[in-house]
Amino acid sequence: MFLTIWTPTNDPVMSPDTALIQRLLQNDASAFESLYDRHSHLVYSLVVRILQQAAMAEEVVQDVFLQLWRNTAQYDASRGPFVPWLVALARNRALDALRLKSERQRRREDQVEELPSIVAAPQYEREIDEKRRIERVRALMGELNPRQKRAIELAYFEGLSHTEIAAAMEEPLGTVKTWIRDGLMRLKEGLQATA
Amino acid sequence: MKNCDQFRELFEGYALGVLDAEERTALEAHLATDCSDCTRLLGEARWLVSQLAYIAPDSRPSEMLRGRLMQRVRAEAQNPRFAGQSKTGVPYWMWIGVATLFLVALYSAWDAHRSKQEVRAAHGQIADVDAQLAVARRENAILADPTSLRVALSPQNSFGPQLEVTWHSQYGMVLAGQNVPVPTGNRVLQLWLIPNAPGGKPIPSLTLRPNANGEFVLLISHPPKVAAETKALAITEEPPGGSTQPTTTPRWVGRVG
Repeated sequence: MFLTIWTPTNDPVMSPDTALIQRLLQNDASAFESLYDRHSHLVYSLVVRILQQAAMAEEVVQDVFLQLWRNTAQYDASRGPFVPWLVALARNRALDALRLKSERQRRREDQVEELPSIVAAPQYEREIDEKRRIERVRALMGELNPRQKRAIELAYFEGLSHTEIAAAMEEPLGTVKTWIRDGLMRLKEGLQATA
Repeated sequence: MKNCDQFRELFEGYALGVLDAEERTALEAHLATDCSDCTRLLGEARWLVSQLAYIAPDSRPSEMLRGRLMQRVRAEAQNPRFAGQSKTGVPYWMWIGVATLFLVALYSAWDAHRSKQEVRAAHGQIADVDAQLAVARRENAILADPTSLRVALSPQNSFGPQLEVTWHSQYGMVLAGQNVPVPTGNRVLQLWLIPNAPGGKPIPSLTLRPNANGEFVLLISHPPKVAAETKALAITEEPPGGSTQPTTTPRWVGRVG
């Protein structure tokens, strides 16, 4: 799947996603179809990874895309690129569904925004296709200590806090904090180096 | 910058949602100061965290999901009013809310108007009661005062009971009666004051209609102050609203003094 993911907002050429969003604002169903085809794979992969259940994942994905269709104006291109916004929206929805599913009382309600906030692409970010991006991120994450990678996955895909991860992994809190921070910094440096 | 430095290590954790409440609150308090550097860095941290989505194992949604979504979106595109939200970003429920608020405001205005009317009516009722009380007090004062002059009005042609007028020089006159035959139709009984002055015409006074039991009490607030100026009192049956001069022969007559 060779798809363009994002063009930095300071690029004088409007990104395909931004152009589709403009059409979506005009109630253009074919623009919605294009956006769905471009990003449903990524969104579904993320959501089903969080929920571990296909039927529920499809419901959440449907909600996410219907929200995009019905509330297109909630995405503001001036506040950041589209895909990270969409991914954050999908993650929030999926973690909410996970919380309801497991009936766990967690502090996420006041920690995760209903709508994603400003997402700023770093200077080194360049337009690349989704396949290359997947390869690059997976390769960099694969270089981490498996326990370190596991801690980051528990945070991102299961919405656990530092304390909860420490308890789940039976590791000291400080170790978990260091793992996560260090792992994300290494990902950042790796993305920067390979940009 | 030193103040910012202490938060630098928290941005990724915040974007990931792993911070404890204390760290989160401290960072949010700092962000609330509109620190542009930290806002930018947090934005970049969010972008970095969003890259983690790419490590999720590849999965594809079913074609059924795509079909369902497209069917719904096309239907809503043709009939936007069926969609839950408007494309302008202002949800339809908000418009409905605005309309509801308008109706509530309208209802409130109407209700306030109605309440005002009710209050006005209540005030009117209170005023009526007050007036009735004032009348009752005045009648009582007239009837109870030993200085009041009592005038017996005898029925003419033995028609009906005897009536009595109590006349107080200051408070006025009370005419009361029981078992009085009710005039037919809308006709009324009218009181006349017959002056002492030679050739003086009867002075018309108030009209009344007894209740179904033939009872009545009538207060005449402003009769001539000096009873001596009045030779007699008479009651005739008159058309509704009374007359300026008697149109029938008196049914009751009483000499004053």
